[in-house]
Amino acid sequence: MDKKDKKPEASNIYVQMGIFAAILFVSQLISDLFPKSFVVPTPLIGMVLLYILLACHIVKLHQVEKFGTFMIGLIAFLFVPSGIQLAAHLDIMRREGIQDVCVIIISTIILLVVIAYVGALVMSIHHKITGNKKD
Amino acid sequence: MSATIATNLALPFTGIFISLIVYLIGMWLTKISNGFFLFNPLLVGMVLGIVVLAIWAKSTGSTTAAVYTKYYLPGGNIIFWFLNPATMAFAIPVYKVNETFKKYWFDIIVICFVGGFISLFLIQLVSKLFGLSAASTASMLPQAATTAVAMPIAAGVHGVPAVTAMACILNAVVIYALAEFLIKILRLDKVSPVATGLGLGSAGHTVGSVKALSLGEIQGAMAGVSVLIISLAMDILVPIYANLFM
Repeated sequence: MDKKDKKPEASNIYVQMGIFAAILFVSQLISDLFPKSFVVPTPLIGMVLLYILLACHIVKLHQVEKFGTFMIGLIAFLFVPSGIQLAAHLDIMRREGIQDVCVIIISTIILLVVIAYVGALVMSIHHKITGNKKD
Repeated sequence: MSATIATNLALPFTGIFISLIVYLIGMWLTKISNGFFLFNPLLVGMVLGIVVLAIWAKSTGSTTAAVYTKYYLPGGNIIFWFLNPATMAFAIPVYKVNETFKKYWFDIIVICFVGGFISLFLIQLVSKLFGLSAASTASMLPQAATTAVAMPIAAGVHGVPAVTAMACILNAVVIYALAEFLIKILRLDKVSPVATGLGLGSAGHTVGSVKALSLGEIQGAMAGVSVLIISLAMDILVPIYANLFM
């Protein structure tokens, strides 16, 4: 960890895992409160909770950073079972696999274009209102 | 004897071992091909894993789905569970750029919700044009959210989470292959860096974040922020959209 400003030492790894586990447990409880027709997945609540706790300085960065960065580094591997899940739905792939892939490729480009250009529009309105040309 | 082997193969070890091996082969292919876009470790892992299970099913005279459920799932589920803390950890990069986030938080939320809604509409239109079934169309909608969040959303609107997961994986592959080209023809390096970062982050997930970081610091920061905000936007928008328009 090469950080310019002096920082407290990273917490014990068990403390870090404990914080993650505690937040996940609470997220799970909150997630259960939502109806089936409006799912709010546990990791989403966990993400929001962790951000709020960090922003309110209840949880300090050094208490979660090391374990969090480690988990993010693993994420591509953790997605493997989600992909292999498709083995249980090969009938769909046989029926409309090619179309699915085409739609996904086009959707990716749609997402990039729409969000980037809506974003450019919103930001230019923002700059007009504040009269500030710099980002 | 064969019954003992079958019982032992149904332990979590098998799933974890298959996942590790296919992912390692993917990483090795990426390395020797100098990062050819189709050799994305995750894509290779997914395809090889399915092939392994299909061959296994063929040789034992069972179906791929049955082999998957009996032998792969116990181990797969263990790895899958760790997506919870890993996805949660995406709050850390957001907090690290908190100054930028606080400065633009309102714009970012507006961009993700408005842009997300327009995208949902266009994605549904494209799905219709290609004649996708209702289940597949529903699975396409939440793909901008990160995989662990998108899959439960897809299940909630009667989609197939497995197809959504494939969509998220392919999103990253497409952005990896086309990002430079798209940035050039769309002149994304000229428009607002906040907008470019959000676009790359929501279209290309973690790969998009890497590409965004190569454009600049604000772009990279915004791509990190987009994971949190676009997932939140999709979670709220997709059920509403599915109720209204599908």
